[in-house]
Amino acid sequence: MKTMNSRRDFLKRTGLASGGLVIGLNFLQSCVNEVVNIPKNAAPLVDLENGFQAQGALSVTDFLQIRPDGSVFLSLTKYEMGQGVSTGLSSILAEELEADWEKINIKYIKSSVSESDITGGSTSTLLHWDLLRKAGAFAKYLLIEAAAKEWTVYEDQCYAENGHIHQHGSTVKLGYGELVEKVVVPESYQTLFDEVPLKYQSKFKLIGKSLKSKIIPDIVTGKHPFSIDVRLPNMKYAAVLRCPVFKGKLLSFDASDALRIPGVEKVVKVDGVILDAATHIRDGVAVIANSTWAAFQGKLAVKAEWDLGENAKMEHQKFVADCLEQLDSNRGTEILRIGKKINTSEMDQIISYTYEFPYQHHACMEPLNATSHFKGDSCEMWVGTQSADKIIANIEKHLGIPKENIKINCHPSGGGFGLRYSSEYAVESMVVSKAAGGDLVKMCYSREDDIKFDYLNPFELNKHTVGIKDGRPLFWDFKNVMANWGGLLGWMYYDIPNCSGTQITVDGFTQVGAWRSVMANAEGFSTECFIDEVAHELNRDPLEFRLSLLPRNKMVDFKHSYKCNINRLRGALELVAKKAKWGKSMPEDSAQGIAVYPYMHGNGYGAVVAEVSIANNEIKVTKITASIDCGLVINPDQVRQQMEGGVIWALSAIFHGGTEYANGVVKRSNFHDNPVLRINEIPEIEVHICENDETRPWGVGEIAGPPTYAAVCNAIFAATGKRIRKLPIKKSVLAL
Amino acid sequence: MATIRLNVNGIVHEKEMDPNMPLLWVLRDILGLTGTKFGCGIAQCGACTVLVDGQAVRSCSMGVQSAMDKNIETIEGVEATPFRSLQQAWIDQQVPQCGYCQSGQLMNAIGFLKSNPNPTDEAILNAMSGNICRCGTYPRILKAIKSVVEQSSKNNGI
Ligand code: FES
Ligand code: FES
Repeated sequence: MKTMNSRRDFLKRTGLASGGLVIGLNFLQSCVNEVVNIPKNAAPLVDLENGFQAQGALSVTDFLQIRPDGSVFLSLTKYEMGQGVSTGLSSILAEELEADWEKINIKYIKSSVSESDITGGSTSTLLHWDLLRKAGAFAKYLLIEAAAKEWTVYEDQCYAENGHIHQHGSTVKLGYGELVEKVVVPESYQTLFDEVPLKYQSKFKLIGKSLKSKIIPDIVTGKHPFSIDVRLPNMKYAAVLRCPVFKGKLLSFDASDALRIPGVEKVVKVDGVILDAATHIRDGVAVIANSTWAAFQGKLAVKAEWDLGENAKMEHQKFVADCLEQLDSNRGTEILRIGKKINTSEMDQIISYTYEFPYQHHACMEPLNATSHFKGDSCEMWVGTQSADKIIANIEKHLGIPKENIKINCHPSGGGFGLRYSSEYAVESMVVSKAAGGDLVKMCYSREDDIKFDYLNPFELNKHTVGIKDGRPLFWDFKNVMANWGGLLGWMYYDIPNCSGTQITVDGFTQVGAWRSVMANAEGFSTECFIDEVAHELNRDPLEFRLSLLPRNKMVDFKHSYKCNINRLRGALELVAKKAKWGKSMPEDSAQGIAVYPYMHGNGYGAVVAEVSIANNEIKVTKITASIDCGLVINPDQVRQQMEGGVIWALSAIFHGGTEYANGVVKRSNFHDNPVLRINEIPEIEVHICENDETRPWGVGEIAGPPTYAAVCNAIFAATGKRIRKLPIKKSVLAL
Repeated sequence: MATIRLNVNGIVHEKEMDPNMPLLWVLRDILGLTGTKFGCGIAQCGACTVLVDGQAVRSCSMGVQSAMDKNIETIEGVEATPFRSLQQAWIDQQVPQCGYCQSGQLMNAIGFLKSNPNPTDEAILNAMSGNICRCGTYPRILKAIKSVVEQSSKNNGI
C-alpha cells in the first residue's frame, strides 16, 4: 500500500488495518478557487488578521473511507453547529459516489495542524461543492475499474447504483464493500481526480431532495456528541472567575472559602492573554474540582480584587453619544465611491436618517466549553469550534507549543452563530490546564459567564443620506460607526448614479465577535428601513419603488467575493411579494412591510414580507413570508429550516436583543434578563425557495435575518406611523 | 457527603455524593448520563428537563436529595417507552437543528402529554414556553407534538 506524504500530493491512499478504501486530501483548495476567487483587498469575512486568508491548507488523511462492510464515512471538514452541514455535504458526496444513502456516516475530525476549515459566512456548501463531487466521482471511478477487472469486462459495461457496481444487461453486481480491497489507485490519480467526469445535474437523485438529517436520530436519543458531554479518564472540571471589565487586571485573590467546598481541589490564577484589539483572555481565577457543580460553587466562593482599569468608567449612554459624535465628524475611511460627488444644494430634497443596531448576545444553548490537556510541549483539546485553525495558531503563539504537537478533537455544538468563530474560550481552557499543572480539565462557562463574557455583535450606527432630484435619488451616502471592528460592507445594490460610503472605527470598551449574518444585520436593517422611508417620502409604493431601482440583468461588483446578481435579488423580492399578496387589504390596525437583501458572503438573496397587528397598544408579528434564492438547492427542507430559524433569530433580536453596560460590566446575566424568543411568541412563518438557473449551491444560513429586521420595522411603521431607527424595541406601541 | 440512591430509567444507582448537588449535575457528571443538558442553571430554559415520578421537572433546580427513591426518567430511557413515538415525530418533522435543547423539549413534551393527552394548540404553546430553542425550531416542535396528539387520538393512546 502506497502512502504519499508530500504536500503536493493531492490525494493519497493510505491503508488501515481492515479499513477498506481510504482517500485522504492534502491540497490548497485548488479545486474550489474558481468559485471563491477572493480578491486580496476584499473585506475579510470576519477578521483581518485571521480571516479568510487563514484558510490556506486543508489536509485530511481519511477524508473518505469505504469500509469492507459497505459503510461509507465522510470526515466533516466543516463544523456542524445545527446548520445542517453533515447532511448537506454528505448528500453531495453520496450523489456522485452513487452510494446507498443509508450507509453514509459522518465522522467528526481529529485535527492535527490543519484538518478543519473555517466555518462561517454561509459558505460551507458552496466551498465544498466541487471537492465533494470530485471525491465521490473519483472513488466511484476506482470502484468501477475494480469491478471491471474482476469481471474482465470493459469499464463502460459497468455502472454504479445504490452502493453497488452493476453490469449492464445483467443481474451481476458487487457491493462497494466487496470491492474496496481490490481497488488500485493509478499513478496518475492527480489527473484523474482533476478530470474525473461528474454527473449531469439533470441526473441528480439525492441533491434537491429533502433527505432526512444524519444527526437527528442521535439528537433525539441524547447521544449526539456535544463537546460539553466529553468524559475522559482522570478528567477534572473547571470554572473560571473572570475580571468583569474588559482589559482589567487581577490584583489578588483569596481561595480559602472556595477550597472548603466539597469537591474543589485546586484554585489557580489565570494570566490574561491579549489576542487582538477586540478579544482577550481575561485575567481570572480558575477553580478545579471533581464536578461542574463543585467548580461553579467554588468559583462563587473565590474572593478576588481587581484593578478594573479605564473601561470601568465606560457608561453605555456615553459610549453611544461618543459614537454619534464621531458620525458627524470628518473622520473615517472612504470605502465606496460610485459616480461623482454631488453638491447637495442642487438637490430638490435631502433625506437623511441614522439607524442604531446594538450589541447583541449569542446565548447559544450550549454554553461555551472546552476540554484541554496541557502536556508541556504538546497538548490536546476537545471542542466545538468554527475555527480550529485559529485555536491552533493562538496556542502556538501564546503557549509556545509547536503546531504539529497540537491536537484538536472537533465536536458538533449546540449552536455557533459566529460565537464559536472566536477562539478565546478554547485557548483559555488550555491556559487553565497549564495553570493547573497539566490537569486534564473540562472548562465550562456558567450561563452567567456565557452572557457576561460573550463576544458580542459589535454596536453599529449607520447614517444614510439621499439627495432627490426630479423625483429620483441622485446620490446616496452612507456612513458607519462601528466599535472594534472594520466593517462597512457598502453593498449598494440599488441603482443610484452617485454613491459614497465611509467607515469610522472606534475603540469599543468590550469584546466583540461574529454574530449570525455579521455586518449585514446592521446594514440590511438600516438600508432597507431607509429605502422604505424614501419611498414613503416620495409617495411611492415600497415594492414598486425598490423594483424601479433594481434594473434587470445587472451584475453589481461590490469588490467582494461575488458579484451581486440583481435578477436573483429581484426574483426573491417578486416571489415574496406574490406569495404574501403584497398590497392586499389588511384588517384594521394591521399592515405589511417588505424588505430584500443580498447576503454576499454566501451569494444568497432573501426577501421578507412581515405582517403585524396592533391590539391594545401591543405589537404582534402575525406572519412572516420569506423567500430565498440560494442557487442550486441541495436539500429544500434544510433550506426552510434555516430560514425559519433565521427569522426567529431576528425577531428575538428585534424584541429582546441588545445589552446594557454599567461601569464597563454587562448587566445581563441569564435568560431571565437576557430573554430570547419563546414558542408562544412566534408568528406563522412561510418560506418559499426561488427557482433559478444556478448550477451551484450558494449560502443559506444567514440570509433570513437582515430582511426580517427591516420588513418588521417597515410593517410597524405602516401600522402605526412610527419609524423605528433603533433596535431593540418594546412590544408596546406607547414605548416607540 | 451522603449516600444517595437514585432510580434512573429503571436502574438503581447508589453513590456517595454531595446531597445538595442538583440532580442535573449528578446525572451528567456522576452517572455519565449526558443526554440531559445544562442551559441556564436557574429553571429558565428547560434544557435540563427530566421526569420525576412522571412529572417534567428542571433538574438544574432540584437537589438530588429530593429525587431520592423517586422514578427518574431521562432522554436515554425514552426509546424503551411508548413515547418513542414522540422521538419518531421529531425525526419525521425534522425538528432539531443543533439539537442541544431537544432532550429538554422532548422530556417536557412527554411530561405534558402524560397530564394532558388531548391538548389545544394554545395549551401546547403554553406548556412548551419554558423551553428555549435558540435555533428557532419552535414551528416544528408544535407540528411534531400535534402529529403525535392526532395519531394517539386515532389509536386511543400513545
Ligand atoms: S438548565 Fe435547567 S432550566 Fe435551564
Ligand atoms: S435545536 Fe438548537 S437550541 Fe434548539
